[in-house]
Order: sequence, then C-alpha cells, then structure tokens
Amino acid sequence: MLRHFLLATGLVLLPAIASAQELSGTWVRDGARSDVVPNSMYWTTQGVDSGGTRGPNTQFVIEVEQTADSLRVTDPTRPLRVYPLDGQAHTVPADTGIVDATITASVQGDAVVVERAQTYSGLPGGVILNTEENWQLGADGNSLVITTSRETPAKTFTYTEVYTRQ
Amino acid sequence: MTDFSRRKFFAQGAAAGVAAGAMTIGGGRAFAQASGPADAAGAAGTTGAPLGQAALPNVWGEDFLYQWSPPENLERDLTPGTSSIRLSGQTTPRFTNEEGTDYATYFRDLAAGGWTAVESSSTAWLSRKLSESEIREIKTQAAANDVVFYGLHCAGNIIAPDPDADRWQRHIIDSVHAAEEMGCELILTHAGSMYANRNWAHPQNWSREAWMRSVNALKRICRDTAGSKIKIAIEAVNTESVNNPWAHARLREDVGDERITVGLDITNMTYPGVAFRMTEYLNTTFDLLEDQIAYVHAKDFVWNSMLPGMNWAMNGTGNMDYETFLVRLSRLKSDTCMLIEFMDEPEEYAQSQRNVRAIAQKVGVNIHGTQA
Repeated sequence: MLRHFLLATGLVLLPAIASAQELSGTWVRDGARSDVVPNSMYWTTQGVDSGGTRGPNTQFVIEVEQTADSLRVTDPTRPLRVYPLDGQAHTVPADTGIVDATITASVQGDAVVVERAQTYSGLPGGVILNTEENWQLGADGNSLVITTSRETPAKTFTYTEVYTRQ
Repeated sequence: MTDFSRRKFFAQGAAAGVAAGAMTIGGGRAFAQASGPADAAGAAGTTGAPLGQAALPNVWGEDFLYQWSPPENLERDLTPGTSSIRLSGQTTPRFTNEEGTDYATYFRDLAAGGWTAVESSSTAWLSRKLSESEIREIKTQAAANDVVFYGLHCAGNIIAPDPDADRWQRHIIDSVHAAEEMGCELILTHAGSMYANRNWAHPQNWSREAWMRSVNALKRICRDTAGSKIKIAIEAVNTESVNNPWAHARLREDVGDERITVGLDITNMTYPGVAFRMTEYLNTTFDLLEDQIAYVHAKDFVWNSMLPGMNWAMNGTGNMDYETFLVRLSRLKSDTCMLIEFMDEPEEYAQSQRNVRAIAQKVGVNIHGTQA
C-alpha cells in the first residue's frame, strides 16, 4: 500500500532530488585551484601548442541553471549545453554538426554526472572519445568542482576544475 | 613500357571515372588534370576533379562560391575487405644497420610492441657495406619475429639545383640496389623541389620545368635500375608537384614505368579545400590509385590557425576519416604496411597504435600482430 502511495505521488523521486545539490549560479573559474587543462579540441603532436590551454591564470564565468529536469550550462568556451537529467541516452548533433553525439545525464547522490560519446574531432571516422563530467558543490558550498574524465583507446585523462560562486 | 603504362592508365582512369577527353592531351600531360565523367555535361563526376583542376567535385552547386564543407548526409561504405595491415612506426630506436646492432633483440622488441613491419633511412643504410652474413642475420631475425623489412625511406631531392640532383638520383639508384639486397619491396622517394631543401616550396615547383625534371629524374632512376623488382614509391608532399592523387597517377603515366608506385600519404596531400572533405578525398584517392599503392603513411591533422596552418595530430583525433582509410586499405588486393610517423615520444607511438587498432577493430579490419 505504501509503495503504491509513493508511486502515485511521485514521492519515490524525492530522495534523488533531495540529495542533488543546487548547482545553479554564476561561477568563476579559479585557476589556482584547478588543474592545468590542455586544449580539449585538438590533440596536436610534434610539440605544437595549439593554444586553448586552461592554466592558473585562466579565468572565465559560467552560468548554471539546474532544475529537477535539466542542467543548463552557458560556458564561453563552448556552445550552450542543456542536459536532461533523466539518465537516458540522447542523440544530439556534435558541435561540428557533422556527426552525432550521445549524452546521458543524471543526478547521482550529490553529483550531476554527464556522459558524452562522439568521435574525437566531431568528424566521421575518428576514434571515439568518451567523456564523463562529475559536477558537485565543494565542501564550503560556495565552490563548484567539476571533475572530467576523457577516455580514448590511446589514454584516459582526468582533471579537476574549481569554480567560485560569484 | 609506354604502351603498358598508357593502356593500363586509361583502363584505370575509366574505372575511376577519369574522362578520356582530358587524357588525350599529348605532351605536358600533367597540365591537363583529370576530370570527372560528367564534366562534359558541365558537372563534375564522383572521383574526378572539376575540369582543369586537381580538386574534388563541387557539391554545393556550381553557382556557390565555396565547396569546402562536406556534402550533407554523406553515406560511407564501411564494408571491410580481407587484406590486413602491418603497422610500422618511427619509434625509437629507429631501425638501422649500425655496427653492433643486436638484430634479434631489436626485432623481438619491435614485435612485442605490436609493430610487425619496419623501414630504414637510406642515408644511414648506405653509409655502411654489410657482409653477407649480416644480411642473412637481418633477414633471419626479421622472419623469426614475424617482422617485414619492407623498404628504405630515401633522403634527398632528385630535382635539386644541379649538381645535387644527379647526386641524389644516384643515391636513389643505390638505395634500390640496397633494398633489393635486403629483400625489401620498395624504396620511398619524392618528386622533389627546385630549392635544395625539399621541404621548402619553390614558386616554380608546379611549373613545366619542375615537372619534367621530376619525370626525367625518375626515368633515369628506372633506366639505371632496369630489371629490378623494387617499387619506387613516391610520397606526396604539399610543397612539391606531386601533392594530390591526380598528380600521382599522372607521374606514373609520364614516367611510363609500372615500378613508379604510390607511398600514400593522405595528410601530405591535404589543403584547406579538402580538410573537411576527407571521406571523399580518401575514396577518390583509393579509386584512382588503389592498384598503385605500395604502402601507406598514417598521420592525422587538424586545422587550427588563421593561415592554412594544419598541424599533425594524434591518429584518430583529427580530420582524417580513419574508418574509411582502414576499410579502403583492407580492400586492396594484398596486405599493406602502414607507417605511423610524426609523433615524439615512444609512448605517443603506443597511444597512436592503440587508436588505430581500436578503429580497425570497430570496422572489422585486421591489424597484424598484437599490442601489449
């Protein structure tokens, strides 16, 4: 009976929603507390610096709007992202518009986890890049910690970036 | 020799959609580039270039200025063939005949790393005369470790300002003999530059004079190595006249010797107009040259600066359509050796190999050997 009541009222969702921290806000990247992140678009070789490295002095602002259903991220370094937090795989165009990407986002405990799979370059025929972003508040409640794992057959690269609430 | 070459070239050209009309232009043939079968009707074919250009067919309408973006909804045929690929890499230490080399250890380590083919630099190789016993040792150890020593990668510039051109042509001739001695399949050389440094683009590299210097140099090399079965594979380089698949085909035709083959390096033939049309560029190249491909180089690239500044990238992460590339290689009539190059560290070569093997596995193409 209790189970039927919970299902009817949707209260079974409450634990998940309740445990999801509120990530909404305006956040400033804190380069000093973040890892150095190389250009994630180009993997150049022969010592070529293709620019775009996020270092200690790299500072920019992102806007995050979290609802029960989605996470919307406005980041000046990439196109607008809106992630449905339903744990389902969604096919969306890659930023190139040439191939598709698959995204899956969900609330997992205190974190929002976003998985993305597409060819590395967003063009046909390349190696598959699997990315997993783990978004959660820092212990102080005023910092946003995003840990990203980028996996190709060649290697897996994990880094953390910290943002401060503005 | 000429009869062979022209008959075969016409047959191949027809199969590849090359219009016979463009082929009938005599003398200076390199300057009437291949055109598509539909050119006569005012449009380009699937594998030919617009009339008078070494370029892919238009896809966005004849009245539209740009043809640099790929066609929408491009269908790719990823049906693999049965030929397999042996990987070779410019790994450290490079393969040389340096005195005291422990060939058993060298080939064992190479195979353990997943590399089942190898080449060597001609300059170092020719610097030392090998004894019969050492030649036997190299062949024995390569075979014992299932590694194919397929060729000598030649230095030099066969059309350098005189008198260097003659010196480098003799170097290529000596390399052919050395490759034969080692049981290799090929040597690799280039069309050359009118500057002494082959990597510098001379403004006259695409002139009739430069073209004829390349043709005559290669005719001389073929003549002076007549009877040899060693393929003379030409590697395209953007700074030289052979920097596109149509030029590869025309060079073989103009030299008139079937030993003039292709050391296929797709990325070396890339320019802005095809940088985002690599699937088509690959298919066009294979359609046109597949029977001439002696071996291939495997690189990748990105276009990441204001000038047409393309930079080398980790294999499988750039603009190259590696799925199509590997599938087309698997459809060749025989197995192919593929050289991964232009990385820095040994770990980068290992990473590159992992990417290539993963893509090959995805599309059902067999890569020889295993990577630890």
